Amino acid sequence: MPADTTDATAVHPIVASKLSKRYREVLAVDGVDIDLPRGIVAGFVGPNGAGKTTTIQLLLGLVRPTAGKARVLGEPIEHPERYLHRVGALIESPAFYPALSGQRNLEVLVRLGRLDARRIPAVLEQVGLAERAKDRVKTYSLGMKQRLGVAAALLPDPELVILDEPTNGLDPGGIREMREVMRSLADRGITVLVSSHLLREIEAICDHLMMIDHGRIVFEGPIAGLLEAQHSGITARPENVHDLGKLEQIARAAGKPARVDGDAIYVTADESYAAELNREAFAAGITLRGLEVTRASLEDAFFAITESDDGTAEAEEVPA
Amino acid sequence: MWGSFTSELTKLARRNIILWGFGAGMFFPLLATIFTIEHAVNVPRPFVGNRGHVPFWILEQPNGLVHGVTDVSVLLGIVSLVIFATTFSLEYSQGTLRNLLVREPRRTHFLAGKFLAISAFMLAVVIVAIALSVALAFILAPGKGISTSAWTSSSGLNDLFQSVWHAYLATLFYGVFGAALGILLRSPAASIGVSLAYFIAIEAIIVGAIWSGGSNWLPDHLLNALVHGGNGDSTYYHALLMLSIYCLAIAAAIITLFRRRDA
Repeated sequence: MPADTTDATAVHPIVASKLSKRYREVLAVDGVDIDLPRGIVAGFVGPNGAGKTTTIQLLLGLVRPTAGKARVLGEPIEHPERYLHRVGALIESPAFYPALSGQRNLEVLVRLGRLDARRIPAVLEQVGLAERAKDRVKTYSLGMKQRLGVAAALLPDPELVILDEPTNGLDPGGIREMREVMRSLADRGITVLVSSHLLREIEAICDHLMMIDHGRIVFEGPIAGLLEAQHSGITARPENVHDLGKLEQIARAAGKPARVDGDAIYVTADESYAAELNREAFAAGITLRGLEVTRASLEDAFFAITESDDGTAEAEEVPA
Repeated sequence: MWGSFTSELTKLARRNIILWGFGAGMFFPLLATIFTIEHAVNVPRPFVGNRGHVPFWILEQPNGLVHGVTDVSVLLGIVSLVIFATTFSLEYSQGTLRNLLVREPRRTHFLAGKFLAISAFMLAVVIVAIALSVALAFILAPGKGISTSAWTSSSGLNDLFQSVWHAYLATLFYGVFGAALGILLRSPAASIGVSLAYFIAIEAIIVGAIWSGGSNWLPDHLLNALVHGGNGDSTYYHALLMLSIYCLAIAAAIITLFRRRDA
């Protein structure tokens, strides 16, 4: 994180340095550093209460930082009026006026923000709500309210979209559509920051990841880089279970952490070791009836980092 | 501010709000007009009748047209207080405030536009309520034998417009109290409960049992004086000045709080 954020913000939509927020005894956000590249879909993940929503609220000027600095689209967060007209946001659960229709709710926001009302039909169409636009929001399902929230975020034709748990309440089809919406935004050069607890969704749609735990960013960077840093695993299943111990020793002799797991051994190693293990087992007279390589998932990485005491220190360990 | 104003009008322009706002706003003046005329008594001057029985000769004065309405203007103010308190606090309890502040981060503009929109709504309520009361008075009075000729004199019309103005001013002052409590307490039930308790009971207890001089300084008594164009407690201008000072101080404190408080 650069000490001077000015240069970075020339190209980066969100830059924060030592951003903190304290609520009495609770340090909700603890010296967060962010440097988000432009035109990407960035995932923002962390356990419940980790500080995701507070960080988002800080970036949107809704809460005041206790310490630190941040710039959004090059403007300081102390002056949200300078950048929020270029930002779309869905914060926590979507809140609308239940007695007004979906379209009327969007009109309220359009008039408030002096936005272009002609965008309303387009954004409703984009999130698949055009047919229910004139129905009162109180008749909407949670998923439909979520879609309306995303539609509201798209109203200002934003350069940056911040979505807090946008797939909450959506069925699988809705989640897929939401994924397509986010990807299409990124394809148009719009930066998307999406917070979610659905790690598979984040892995599927995001290029970049910010992981927060106990108010601190414990990882920020490309998802590919994080996953590469995680060792994949190899599950080897001998034909004869009496060979499990011998097979484990072969792996350990090669310097690979291994443990017996049921009728198989689990070896923490790169994919390339699988062939070598197969050869050594054959040479030792062990016939394998199964050999499977499992790649590290974002979920593995998430738990490896957030369940460790000191964050990144255990980022490269494979969970037991 | 214009964005906040038009946005708030969009929210207010829905059937339930209009029915409730105008219904509650019209209920008390219409009831007061019917009650005043139907219970009027034909006694000669200088008799002033019993409580609740206004003599014909008073109603036949130029200001007789709005006699009943003036008496219930404070209740019109209470309706205003409830509408302001509910409208402001609901943004918190419904969770809509954050969405709104993302679209209008200039919080003072946001508050000002919202307040002006509700004030415009209340102006319509006051005008319609008093217009209907006046119409009703013209319909009922001849049947009771009350002369309405002075009501249409220039003095009568002047009294009518003054009554509308005083009633509207009262709704604005009540509105400031309601909006402030709505923002402070962030709950419709709490803000309405606290404000009604104060204006209906607490201030009366203070003046009656603790501080009799409070009738010249405390807001409910000042509002009573205002809607009557001055009364035994305060002159009209004293009431107007004190209420203006209170409301400016409250507005400054609430704007400061709203600007600094996390949404």
